[in-house]
Amino acid sequence: MDLLSVRQSLVTSNIANVDTPGYQTKDIDFADELRRASGSPEILQAGGLVTKNDGNNVSLDRESRLLAENSLRFQAAESLLRAQVQQVRSAIKEGQGS
Amino acid sequence: MSLFSALSVSASGMSAQRTRAELLVENLANAETTRTPEGGPYRRKDAVFESSGVASPFASVLFQQSEGSLDEASANGVTVAQVVTDTRDPERRYLPGHPDADAEGYVAFPRMNPAEDMVDLMSASRGYEANVAAIGAVKDMIQRSIDLLR
Repeated sequence: MDLLSVRQSLVTSNIANVDTPGYQTKDIDFADELRRASGSPEILQAGGLVTKNDGNNVSLDRESRLLAENSLRFQAAESLLRAQVQQVRSAIKEGQGS
Repeated sequence: MSLFSALSVSASGMSAQRTRAELLVENLANAETTRTPEGGPYRRKDAVFESSGVASPFASVLFQQSEGSLDEASANGVTVAQVVTDTRDPERRYLPGHPDADAEGYVAFPRMNPAEDMVDLMSASRGYEANVAAIGAVKDMIQRSIDLLR
């Protein structure tokens, strides 16, 4: 969820800079970071994007897709975490009962 | 860097696009203006964007208190670096009866292409929409994190 937050921050940053001359799209290698699970992810420049006349290579389509994707992944991670929290809660409740 | 800084980033994008839209609308309104306080016809204005760190006073103070240093923000917002005024020569139209006509009967009109402004206006409006969508998505994520313990 931390990783997804960082990624979502970068996506919003890319969207805000959609008209900034010379701005390069930023991203993280999600799968790689997830495997390493280190504290601070490395921020990369996204490759394979078309650079416009003003040196800006933000693709609004790519960013909206990532926005939606991150939201869904976050939702999935949140459901998993919620299940764990529920487990702990029910354990506490049972303990109180006896 | 947190999801809250993402909100500030999107807000900076919205404010920059709004500034740009204001300038473009001003251009369209003044397409035929021949008198300005500076003298001469109106000149087209446009905004130059620059990416910059976002200032979220609460987050920066909180970070300073807890970690003793300022957050090295890697998410960049956007600001309007400057407003540039078109330096092209005004368009001269032959209108001898016009009160602003010069000795030869020519009036200086702003050199403006309404199509150019309309296209830029559409792009500013789309940019604004994209930022609004981003705020919606981030807000949803924050709300989900809060609801986790309900």
